[in-house]
Order: sequence, then structure tokens, then C-alpha cells
Amino acid sequence: MGVVKAQSRIRSSGRGSGVLPLLPFFLFTGFFLIWPVVAVTLRSFKGNTNEWTLANYRPILHSGPYLHAFMVSLKLSLITALIGSLLGAFFAYVIVKYARGKFGAVVDSISAVFANSGGVPLAFMFVAAFGTEGIVTKVLKDLGWDIYAGHFTIFSFTGVVMVYSFFQVPLMVLVFKPAIAGLRREWEEASISLGASAFTYWRRVGIPILIPSFVGAFFLLFAGGFSAYATARALTVGTVPLVPIIIGTLVDGNVISDQTNLGDSLAVGMIVVATIVMAGYIWAQRRAAKWRS
Amino acid sequence: MKRFSLKWPLVISSSVLAFLIFIVPLYGAAVYSFKGNGGKGHSWVNYQWLIHQDGFYPSLITSLKLAVLAALLTLALMVPTMVYLNLKGQKYKSLVDFLCILPLIIPVVSLAIGAQVAMPKILQNSEYELVFFFVIIALPYTYRALDTSLQTIALKTLVEASRSLGASWTSTIIRVIVPAIRSGITGALFLTFALSIGEYTITSLLHWETFPTWTVVAGQQNILGAIAISVFSFVGAIALLSVIALLPKRSALRVEVDE
Repeated sequence: MGVVKAQSRIRSSGRGSGVLPLLPFFLFTGFFLIWPVVAVTLRSFKGNTNEWTLANYRPILHSGPYLHAFMVSLKLSLITALIGSLLGAFFAYVIVKYARGKFGAVVDSISAVFANSGGVPLAFMFVAAFGTEGIVTKVLKDLGWDIYAGHFTIFSFTGVVMVYSFFQVPLMVLVFKPAIAGLRREWEEASISLGASAFTYWRRVGIPILIPSFVGAFFLLFAGGFSAYATARALTVGTVPLVPIIIGTLVDGNVISDQTNLGDSLAVGMIVVATIVMAGYIWAQRRAAKWRS
Repeated sequence: MKRFSLKWPLVISSSVLAFLIFIVPLYGAAVYSFKGNGGKGHSWVNYQWLIHQDGFYPSLITSLKLAVLAALLTLALMVPTMVYLNLKGQKYKSLVDFLCILPLIIPVVSLAIGAQVAMPKILQNSEYELVFFFVIIALPYTYRALDTSLQTIALKTLVEASRSLGASWTSTIIRVIVPAIRSGITGALFLTFALSIGEYTITSLLHWETFPTWTVVAGQQNILGAIAISVFSFVGAIALLSVIALLPKRSALRVEVDE
């Protein structure tokens, strides 16, 4: 329908640009994306008897298990985003530089699979490899390193960090590769013809240009790690207190009667954190775009 | 000169690192999944166990069905939207761009809670509600895929030529633009399908049973079986994506973009 109407508009006005053809898109995202967020935000300010209140936010702001969960979630995202962005940037550089053609395309799609595998299969795979009876655990033990001698288990915070890095690194490769590929040959040639060494080129030109993209990608990884749910859920079954896991438990019905809408306020808390992080991402993207025109 | 000497140390160290980070866990899991009964010997027993579990086929079929529907809905919604946006609706582009990046910003957990609050009962009582949220979750990726390929074709020229030859808008989109941006469409289709078929968060929080949520439940009884299915889905996804990556992407209608 929208298309037909747009046709007559375009015919009559020549260069018209009505909003009508975009209506299906705006209605769809409005109903399935914006409205749920607005609704949960509104309900997070309501009490059990539907009165307006800030009570749902009290448990988060006062020290206690919920504030602690936010801290653990932030720490997890920070560490895995750091590991992911540094290692991923290194891989991205090597791939751009030395993997071309069909091999490059396959590396791309493998990265895409690994990056989007932040799910249940990943958790099970790591249990198989690094669990108490895991294959890697046994091999390392035979080599004289018992990884379970200390406090380590795959179900702990450190375990979650390992598993998350598994999808953070390839995500960084996907996001950061275009930035490295966008470094113009001319810039390198120009600085070298002006007498710069390769090291000077990277220190004075390459790295300064890449920094905004790097920071942007770091924020993206941070947001991804902060919101990830499936992997941690399947791996830890609640032993590591993360905000998404706690929300999941609340939704599954283990709710204390006076905290009906606590899940809502936690969900809004997550949106707030994610928004701040993504504002950083958008800011960094803008700076990075300067070099691309 | 200096760069040349750096090549092999870089390639070798990154290959070793990639091997340790990615191949070792995958290989470990694969070996584990072929363990026989009681952990002895090697066999397909875990894979057979899985197939014979209650709910294997129903949940797999549910997942396939929802993923196909999500991919189709994505195309129906996004192809006309993106074409119009690149053709006439430039001034709305930043708004659409923003809406399409929102699913990356809003944690899926929060979206799921919101869906429970906001969706009408009739939708919440049907598993098809998931289709709409799968489309939403895939938006950031579909937007990029379609936008990139639309920018590599001479969209305006194609549309003007087709319209001046008397084609309607519908047939312009279906018979001219769609073939020209085939690679972007394949990409968007496949991404939506892959994301939908593996989606766990929203599905489990809205209490539906699809293949991923079924695996978690089944895995609680038999961890070997769960590992088997994890390895299977991983290797399957890599194989499928690699095949798609190697498909010829050139289109006759493509124009060379000057650097």
C-alpha cells in the first residue's frame, strides 16, 4: 500500500520524500522495540498496588546483592572487552595484512560464527574442554599443570571470562577490520618518503588514526559482554552473580512477594548502563569517520 | 624491508594464538562428544542419544519454522524500507539508522522483560511472537548488509530506467533492485536465520521451547549429549557460512566505486 501511495506522490511532486513508505518500519520498531522499553520503564516506577514509587530502585542503589551484581557485571565486561579488543586488534591486523581472497572470506565467516556463538553451545563446549573431566584439563594435568589445584573452576568468574573472550575476540576482528583496511597506502608512503621509519609511521600516523575506531569497538564489546545472558546462564547456573542472570531468576518466578517489579528496575538499570556505553561508542564512531571521507 | 621480515613472526604467532583460543576448546569438545558409554571408547552414541530424545524433532522444527519466518519478514520489511531510504528518504536515514542500532544498545534481557509487560495477550499466547523479536534483534545486521550493497549499485539510474520503461514500483523492486543487491539480501537472510535459530535469551525469558532452550534442558540429563549437539551446531554453522562466503558475489549491475 505504502509503495503505491509513494508512487503517486513522487509523480505529482517530482522530488517528494514523504514518510509514508517508511511507515511499516516505524510502526514495527515502534511496537516491538520502543514500546516494550517504555512499558518496562514505566512499570519499574510502580509499586505492587500500581502507585508511583521509587521503591524498586532502592535495592539496586543500596549496597547489597543487586549493587554487587552490577559491579560483577561491569568488571566482567571491562576485563573481557580489554582482552577481546587487544587480541582482536592484533588478529585483525594480521588478517588484513596477510589473508586475502578466498581465505580472507572464509576467515571472515568463521569470525562471524565465533562472534555470534555467545550462546548455549559455547558453554557446553568449554565444560567439555576445561571442566574437571575436560580434555584440555587432562592433557594439562599430564603435562604437570593441574588447573584445578587452586580455586579455578570453569563455572567461576575466571571461567566466564575465558568463555566470553571466545566471542569477544572474533567480534573485535569483525568490527575493527574495516578500520585497519581503511588505512590508506598513501599515508604510509607519504610518511616514509618524508623519512619516517615504519615505527614512526605507526606511532605518529597509524595508531592515532585507529584510536577512535579502537575505542568505539571496545565500547561495543563492553556493551555486548554486559548484556550477554545465554552463555553465563548455561555455564554457571547462578554461581556468578550477574545482572542478566538475576533478572532471569526473577522472571522464572523465584520472586519474593514485595519485589514484584524489581526485575523491571534491574532491566532499566541495564538499559541505562548500556546507553552510557553506547553513547561512548557513537562518539568514537563520529571521530573515526573523520578520516574516512 | 622491515615489514617483510615481520611477516612470518606475525603470521605464526597469530596462528598459534588462534589455535590455542579457538581450536583447542572446539577440538576438546569434539573429542569429548565421541566418548562411549561410561566415558570409554569412541562412538556416535551421544549423537544417537540426542536424536532419540523426546522433543528433539519438535523443537528443531519449531526453531527452523520461526527462523524462516523471521528471515522472510525481515526481507519484506527491510528491502522496501532500505530502497526508499537510499532513493528518496535521505532525511530519515539517520533516524532509521538509529532505530536499527538500538537493538545493540538495549540489552536483550531488558527487551524480553519489556515484551512481557507490553505485548497484548493474544500475541504472548503464541510462539509466533518470537518471530517479531528475532527480526528486531537482527536489525543492526540486516541494516548494514542491505545498506552496504545498495550503495554499491547505481540505484537511481536503475530505478529511473525501469520506471521510464513503464514498470510499476513493485516490479521495479522485485525484478530490478532485488537481483542487483542479491549478495546483501543473501547476507541479511542468512544472518537473520542464523541469529534466530540460535536465539536463547528472549526465548527462554518468554518461556518458549525452541531448539536452544531444549538443548539446555536435555543437557541437564546428559552432558555428553549436550556437548555433542553443541559441536554439531558449531561445525555446521561454520561449514554453511564458509560455503556462502565462497559463492560468487559479482553482479552484472554493480558499478565500480571510485576510491
